[in-house]
Amino acid sequence: MRGEVPSVLKITDLVGYLPLVIFGLVLTYISLHAPNFLTLQSLELIVMQSLPVVLVCAGLAVVVMAGGDDVVSGGIDLSIPATAVLSAGITAQMLTSGMPLALCAVVALAACIVVGLSNAVLITKIGMTPLLTTLAMFVAVVGVNNVITVSRRINVDHSWIVALRAQEIAGIPAGILLVALIVAILFFAAHRTGWGLNLQAAGGSRDAAEISGIDANRLVAQSFVVAAFTGFLCGFFLLARGSGSSPGVQDNLMLEMVLATFLGAAFSPRRVVTLWGAVLGALLVAAISIGFKSIGVNVFWTGLIKGSLIVVVVAFSALAQRGR
Amino acid sequence: MADFAVSLKDIVKEFPGVRALDSASLEVKSGEVHGLVGENGAGKSTVIKVLAGVYQPEAGSIMINGQSLNPATPAAVHDAGIRFIHQELHLVPHFTVTESVFMGQELRGRFGIAKREMRRRAEAFLRDNLGLPLSGNRLIRDLGPAERKLVQVARALIDGAAQVVVFDEPTAPLAIEEVDLVMGAIAKLKAQGIAILYVSHYLSEITDICDRVTVFRQGETVGVFDNITAASSAELIYAMVGRAISDMFPARTERSVDTGLSVRGLAAARAFSDVSFEAGRGEILGIAGLIGSGREELTDCLYGLRKRTAGTVSFEGRSLDLNTAAKAVAQGVVLVPRDRRNDGLVLPMSVSENATLATLDRTSRAGLVDAKAAAAATESHITALDIRPPNPDAITRLLSGGNQQKVVLARWLATDAKVFIFDEPTVGVDVGAKAEIYQLIADLAGKGASVIVSSSDPVELQGICDRIIVMMRGKIVDELRASDASVDDLVAATTGAASVQGAAHAG
Repeated sequence: MRGEVPSVLKITDLVGYLPLVIFGLVLTYISLHAPNFLTLQSLELIVMQSLPVVLVCAGLAVVVMAGGDDVVSGGIDLSIPATAVLSAGITAQMLTSGMPLALCAVVALAACIVVGLSNAVLITKIGMTPLLTTLAMFVAVVGVNNVITVSRRINVDHSWIVALRAQEIAGIPAGILLVALIVAILFFAAHRTGWGLNLQAAGGSRDAAEISGIDANRLVAQSFVVAAFTGFLCGFFLLARGSGSSPGVQDNLMLEMVLATFLGAAFSPRRVVTLWGAVLGALLVAAISIGFKSIGVNVFWTGLIKGSLIVVVVAFSALAQRGR
Repeated sequence: MADFAVSLKDIVKEFPGVRALDSASLEVKSGEVHGLVGENGAGKSTVIKVLAGVYQPEAGSIMINGQSLNPATPAAVHDAGIRFIHQELHLVPHFTVTESVFMGQELRGRFGIAKREMRRRAEAFLRDNLGLPLSGNRLIRDLGPAERKLVQVARALIDGAAQVVVFDEPTAPLAIEEVDLVMGAIAKLKAQGIAILYVSHYLSEITDICDRVTVFRQGETVGVFDNITAASSAELIYAMVGRAISDMFPARTERSVDTGLSVRGLAAARAFSDVSFEAGRGEILGIAGLIGSGREELTDCLYGLRKRTAGTVSFEGRSLDLNTAAKAVAQGVVLVPRDRRNDGLVLPMSVSENATLATLDRTSRAGLVDAKAAAAATESHITALDIRPPNPDAITRLLSGGNQQKVVLARWLATDAKVFIFDEPTVGVDVGAKAEIYQLIADLAGKGASVIVSSSDPVELQGICDRIIVMMRGKIVDELRASDASVDDLVAATTGAASVQGAAHAG
């Protein structure tokens, strides 16, 4: 019987860990310069701040698992943050005109699913590349949202939305519990069911999946709908986090989503994008963002630093891939 | 009736302009290992696709276990217990053995998938039915090629319903010591009463494990051989090659041969090692070898497309640096690639643009292309090579295969190349253009170039080359002088039958 774990750690494996090492160093630097950074209170703040990113990352992880982790030709959905903003915008606008939350949610859900289905049709039926399709979708959906909200900030103080931020159950914020539950359900679906394994097979090797009788196109289509659904959910957490809908949130959300999801591959023993990895990546990225603020890094510089981190993460994952 | 597990009779399959199968028959008895051999293009893949239900034949009958399948759809064939082990592995590198075996047929448990049960069954199947003890938790990318092959076999057979298993070139990517693992698994399957159809170019393997062998040539069944022994390979080769060698080759002339290309101890990781040969100026050197022999990798390596891990290459005693294709071209080593449509030509560009791609410095001034100079340069090659249509502005995509090949050649003739490497020079080229290309190859050698022709067609190699080196599993195993060796000898050397015969004679 052969050993369970590959015994020798290869150079390429180490390269795969480097993004984590770099993040670890940055976090260490931050905690040395901001003594309050590692307190329970600040950690809770980090998790609360990260909730919208966690949700869209979970959605993107499903898309990448189904389409493969090649950033250009594989699965990617850049439109999730736009969907989230659309969900928030519709809900905020309708709440302001006095409609019940349930109705707002139904309309927002319908709109988001339409976005997901459009992505699915354009990519699996017409054969467009996911990168271009979802980038165009991002721009279009943000445009629609600007029309709906007239590109202005809308305050929301609905008690349910506020509860996502302020309510605690057994000392833990309700929002965190809810997101944990959603992530757990998605994790189970993606990693513990036949559907999830088929999804990973489709992304890992499309030919292999199809030869095994798996309808890869259908799974890819489904992944875009799941992603749109996480965008829909994310909208409510955006409303809770920002006490309403504000224009422009989507840009940073997209950046952090892509960074966190691909960074998460470094957490997986197989060096591939996984749901857990994406979620942990989202937490790590939120920690960095808040950390920079707490040590007083100029806001304008954080953009450069985050952009560079994306380049580093993607470069190292490319190197790790090449070594296989 | 049911003593045949598979019976294909008088199958006819036509594609536009080609009759791929013409009264092809193939019968596999229950519980036997049946070999299917034939040259490239003999119709082996077509008949397998007919059996798989992928192609619907124009005529003929398909019976499985005495039951007629009409029409044979992929699902009906699968339900009848026929399984295909394709040449390509189709495995996900980051999946575990268990996940790969149960891909698309996961066992469901009370909570999601029954991981433990799947692992237990996958390991038991690999161990008991294929003779390979392997942990279900290992990742595919950490396995060797033979282990991966057996995982692929396990995936096809894990449902326990297989009655006939078709192996298509299962050992092509394997090193010699790994072949035994696959052979052992096939013997075990046979012992379990499963009929096997074994398609391979390696005659030594065919004579080793097959009970009976069917030979295809040009879409027809030309022989069915019983009582296969090591000595059967001569008969098989005779049936495979036939006697239809035409006179499309230029007459052999004595050319003076000077020191030219010299390759010493060349190696490339996972492809070939310790390759040494000479290709003198004025000489045509052939390279024979099956898929997986390292032949394709060798030509790529000589042209700088693949990294060499050891060895030296020199021309007229001067050492050459062939680390990239650009360096190779600069030093006069050029390649006419096998896949000219993807690697050799920019199809949407004109003949003139393609032909002058490598010599733009001569047809441009101050970085600007001088279209007139380019057209003039191309005109002379169009005339010399008889490219049709004789129009420098014709779009390359619209040319026939043979004329496209000439455009690639025109590009290199414009350079001062001294070493010409042809990889499958006549694949997809019609007979008339073939003869022209052979003449051009002979002319190049006549003008003092070192010419290397790498081909899977033994008739072509024997007809055009002066000497032929034979590669198998990454090594040079033989060298033949074309004037003393027949096509049969070459096939025997390429398929590993020569060594078996030698051993049989010695014994």
